[in-house]
Amino acid sequence: MSSTPTVLKREFRFSVWSRTIRISLLTVVLLIFTLMVIVPFIWMILMSVRTSGEILVDPYGLPKVIRWQNYYKLFFDPQIRFYQYFINSIFVTFFAVLLCIALSTLAGYGFGRKRYNFKYRGWIFAVLLFALMLPHQILYIPQFTMMAHYGLINTRWSLVLLYAALGLPVSTYLMSTYFSQLPSEIEDAALIDGCSDLSMFWNVMLPLARPAVATVILTNSLGFWNELLLSLTMVTKPEMRTLPSAMMMFVGEHGSDYAMAATSLVAAMLPILILYLLLSDKFIEGMTAGALKG
Amino acid sequence: MAIKTIVRASKRSAPVTGQRVGRKPWGAIFIFIAPAMIYYTIFVLYPLAATFYYSLHKIAPLGGKLVTTFVGLQNFTEIFKDEIFFRAAGNTLLWGGVGPAVEMVVAIALAMLVYFHVPLHRFYRVAWFTPILVSGVIVGLVFRWIFNFDWGIVNAGLRAIGLDQFALNWLGRRDTPIWIVIFVHFWSTFGYSFVLMLAGLSAIPGELLEAAYIDGASKLQAIWSVLLPLLKPTAVTVLILSFMGKMHAFHVVWVLTNGGPIHFSETVATYVQKRAFGWNTFDLGYPSAISVVWFGLTVIGVGLISRWLKARAEG
Repeated sequence: MSSTPTVLKREFRFSVWSRTIRISLLTVVLLIFTLMVIVPFIWMILMSVRTSGEILVDPYGLPKVIRWQNYYKLFFDPQIRFYQYFINSIFVTFFAVLLCIALSTLAGYGFGRKRYNFKYRGWIFAVLLFALMLPHQILYIPQFTMMAHYGLINTRWSLVLLYAALGLPVSTYLMSTYFSQLPSEIEDAALIDGCSDLSMFWNVMLPLARPAVATVILTNSLGFWNELLLSLTMVTKPEMRTLPSAMMMFVGEHGSDYAMAATSLVAAMLPILILYLLLSDKFIEGMTAGALKG
Repeated sequence: MAIKTIVRASKRSAPVTGQRVGRKPWGAIFIFIAPAMIYYTIFVLYPLAATFYYSLHKIAPLGGKLVTTFVGLQNFTEIFKDEIFFRAAGNTLLWGGVGPAVEMVVAIALAMLVYFHVPLHRFYRVAWFTPILVSGVIVGLVFRWIFNFDWGIVNAGLRAIGLDQFALNWLGRRDTPIWIVIFVHFWSTFGYSFVLMLAGLSAIPGELLEAAYIDGASKLQAIWSVLLPLLKPTAVTVLILSFMGKMHAFHVVWVLTNGGPIHFSETVATYVQKRAFGWNTFDLGYPSAISVVWFGLTVIGVGLISRWLKARAEG
C-alpha cells in the first residue's frame, strides 16, 4: 500500500519529462515553420539597408553598415518619383474608404434596425450581399467601358469609385450586424425626446458604433491599399499609378538593382505592417467578423 | 460567402414583427438605404448585367469608339475550341482542389495548437497572420527572387546541403510553376484560414470540453469527437472562402509567373486579363464570355462543396 504513492509520483515525473520533450520538439517545429513564414520579410528588410553591390556578392549576408540611402533615394530622387505613387495610393485609399463608410453606415443602419423594416427589405439586403460571391473578373470589363465612357480612365477617381463599390457589401453587412445588436431602448428614449431619425443616427447611434466603423476602416484600407487588378486596368499612365501596379513596373525596370527594388517593397508594406503591429487584434477581429458572423 | 449564408443573414436581420408604433418612417428608410443601393446598382449590378450582355457580342474599338456587334453564342462555342483556356481551367481547377484542402488541414492543425496554448501561442497568432496583410504584388516579387535559379534562397539552401540536383529552375519549367504558385498562394493566405478556424474554436463553449475530460476522454479523443464535429460549420465556410479565393486569385500569379512559361501556369483570371487588355486583340466580348462561364463553374463548385459536406455531416 505504501508503495502506491511513489509509483504514482514516478509516473507523474516521467510524464512531466516526456511532456517537456514533446513540447520542446513541437516548439522547434513550430518555430521553423514560423521562420518560413517571416523569412521573406526579414530578407527584404536586410536587403533594403544594403547596396546592390553587396547583395550581388552575398545575397544572404547581414548588413555590415546599415545604409538608409536607399530609402532617401526612393523618396527624393526625382527620377523615381516613388512619393507620387505613395500619394496616389493614400489619395485613393482615403477617399474610397470615406465614400464606402458614408454609404455603408447609412445602409447598415437602415438594414440593421427593426424600426426601419419593411416587406422586401430582406430581399434587397440579400441582393446587396449577393455581391460577396462575385469575382472582380465578372465586373471589371464593363466597369472599364463605363469609366472610358465618362472619361475617367487614368484618373484616381475611377479607382475611388470602384473601390468603394468593392468594399460596400461587406462593410454594410458588418455595420448592419453591429447596429442590430444595439438595444432598442436607446432608440425609444431618443424618439420620446423628439429626436428625428437622422439626428438619432448621427448623434446617438453612430458614436455607439465606433468600434464597427474602425473595423470597417481597417479592413477596407488594407484591401484598397493592396488592390492590383483594377488599378492595372483603369490606370495606365505612369504618374497616376497606385503602389501595387507601380511597384510591378518599378521592379521590372530596375530589375538588376535589387537593393532599390527591395527598398520599394519594404516602403510599400511598412505602413500596413506598422499599423498591424499596433492593432493586430483589431485587424484579426475585423477580418474574421465578416466571414464568420453569417 | 455561400448563398446559404447570405440568405440566412438576410433573413435574420429582417425579422417579421408586427410593429404598430406610429407610421413607418419611409423618408428615413429611403435616406438610409437608397444611396448605397443606387451606388451598388450603378457600379455592381449594371456591370454584372453588362458582362452577360457583352458575352453575346463582339466589342471592338473603332475610330475611338467601342462598336458592339451581336454574335449570339459564338463566343461560347469559341471557348470550347480554345486550348489555352482549357489549360488555364485545368490549372485553376487543380489549384481549387489542392489549395483549399491543404490549407484547411494545416489551418485546423495550427488552430488546435494555438487553442491549447502551446508556448509562444500569442506570437504565432500574430506572425502567421502577417502574410495576408501584404499585397499579392509584393508576395509575387519576393517569391520570384526566392525561387530564382541562380541565387534564390531555395536553391542556395539546396546547394548548401549538397542537393544540387534538386536545385531546379522552379519558375521556368513546364511542371513546377503551377505548384510554386499554389505554394506561394498558400503562404500568403493560410493565416486567414487559420485565424478563422481559431475564431470558430473559441466560439465552442469550454464546458463541452470539460465534460469530455470528466468522462475520461484523452485530449486527442476530445479533439476528435468534440471539437472537430463542432468545428464543421466553420470548416465549411473556410473551405468555400478558400475555394473561391483560388478560383479568382490574380495578383500572385500575375506577378510571380504571369501565367508563363508559355501558359504552363496560366489561370483563368490571368487569361481573362490578357484577352481583355493585354494581347491587343481588342475584343471585350470573348473575355466576358469566359468570365460568365467561369462564374457559373465557381457557383457550381461552391454548391457541390457545401452539398457534399452536408451529406457527409448527415450521413
